[in-house]
Amino acid sequence: MTTSEISSDDVRRSAPEAMLVGQKPRRRRLGRESVAAGAKAVAGLIGIFALWQVLVVVLDPPEFLLVGPISAFAELLERPGYFASNTFITLQEALAGFALGTALGVLCGAALHYSTTVRSFLYPALIAIDTIPKVALAPLFIVWFGFGFESKAFVAMAIAFFPLVINTYDGLRSVPHELQELARINKASRWKKMTKIEFIYAIPAIFSGAKISISLAVGGAVVGEFIAGSQGLGYVILLANSQVDLPSMFAAFIVLAVIALALFFIVDRAGRKLFPWKNHSR
Amino acid sequence: MNNEYAISVNNVGKTYRSKDGHDNTVLKNLDFHVKPGEFVSIVGQSGSGKTTLLKTISGLQELTEGEIRVKGRLISEGLEDIAMVFQAPVLLPWRNNIDNVLLPLEFRGTRTDESRRYAQELLEMVGLGGKATRYSYELSGGMQQRVAICRALVSHPELLLMDEPFGALDAMTRDSMNFEIQRIWQSTGCSVLFVTHSIPEAVWLGDRVVVVGDRPGRIVADISIDFPRPRNKEHRFSAAFSDYVTEIESHIGVTAGIS
Repeated sequence: MTTSEISSDDVRRSAPEAMLVGQKPRRRRLGRESVAAGAKAVAGLIGIFALWQVLVVVLDPPEFLLVGPISAFAELLERPGYFASNTFITLQEALAGFALGTALGVLCGAALHYSTTVRSFLYPALIAIDTIPKVALAPLFIVWFGFGFESKAFVAMAIAFFPLVINTYDGLRSVPHELQELARINKASRWKKMTKIEFIYAIPAIFSGAKISISLAVGGAVVGEFIAGSQGLGYVILLANSQVDLPSMFAAFIVLAVIALALFFIVDRAGRKLFPWKNHSR
Repeated sequence: MNNEYAISVNNVGKTYRSKDGHDNTVLKNLDFHVKPGEFVSIVGQSGSGKTTLLKTISGLQELTEGEIRVKGRLISEGLEDIAMVFQAPVLLPWRNNIDNVLLPLEFRGTRTDESRRYAQELLEMVGLGGKATRYSYELSGGMQQRVAICRALVSHPELLLMDEPFGALDAMTRDSMNFEIQRIWQSTGCSVLFVTHSIPEAVWLGDRVVVVGDRPGRIVADISIDFPRPRNKEHRFSAAFSDYVTEIESHIGVTAGIS
């Protein structure tokens, strides 16, 4: 625990000068907090890797059942080009699917909010479609879009889409009614209401949807590669499976975790840049 | 009809029809007038339809009976001269204070180079001239509400509707806001309809106090408050003041908690 840190911060913030100086001390505080949080997260990861390695050494399982992180990292270093090129493929599929899913999801969420017709006809249908596991659609996309890049991107899109629909819709709905009334009293046009209030209000919710979607999109791309792929990290895992090559499989897991984490982090950061006020709201 | 009133509320009624066909009458036979520049407080128990009354005057809700005229014009014709202050300041957190004040003008499409100077003047009037480029999260609740009042005044309204604007503030801030709003109102000369739960606040601020009874909302008393302006702390402790409060309490049906 960092009780000493927190209390000293509280004392500093309660000082009247914090009010006068404004944002600066808070920003610095946030920076320091995130560095500390980052350090703790890295320590946690190292701890898990260490525990994993210790287990492997102590239990000494056969190499076709479990390998330690050292073997996995060694595998990565041995064939860096192989992993890099396949990672790049998966990354492209996931990002294309995420971008498409986000665009469609935001549009769809906005349509649900603004049109009662769309809402009454499509909302129940959307919820129904959402109950289908999206990975189950992967074979269909292969039939439709072939064995290449497109089918994987579409699987990623199908998974990334729904969190954005729901979050956009919820975000737009959560605009305080006083703001709606303020807009009406001042005879704001629909467009002004949307651009000056509603969409900006919904941005934080849209970004929480995007944070869920970005990791899901990576998973979607990998599932697509499982079903019909000749490249990408999903293919690497399948190939390793057929060759009982566990170090390669675990290396792929690590890479997948790293890219999903990195993408999540990028979306999170972009969100904080776009809506700095959220960090201060109570 | 005559145009001498800032607002005339003529025989207004509002009935909601619920889904099972039952009628719920919220306002019934409401009839009162506000002169230009007058400050009228409206008190009544929760659920007596005070807020509904404000919303019908602002055009946010339609009435089912009677008519409301602002400066002789029916409210259904669309009014430009009305502004509203809500219980919550609801400032936009991504805009600094002066840009929040300017929002109504952007909605109306009437923002000019001059507007910014006027917004700054308004902020100075409420003592926040130095906070124009600060954000709402850097302000206390009372300061935020003062920004919201500037936002209401920026469109030069003839009629300011205030819906329990100080209801969420602590007692001390509330007292100072009462002085503030008296000063603002006197310097702008607009008419004010001020809805509040606090009878002393209503008496201290109002030229008149309109008491709305509940179920359905109707006017049970309309009392002129004869104190000179500007009013000060002394008025609050005068015998006449507590007489007014007692009289209004009796109309609302408040049983005093002191035996």
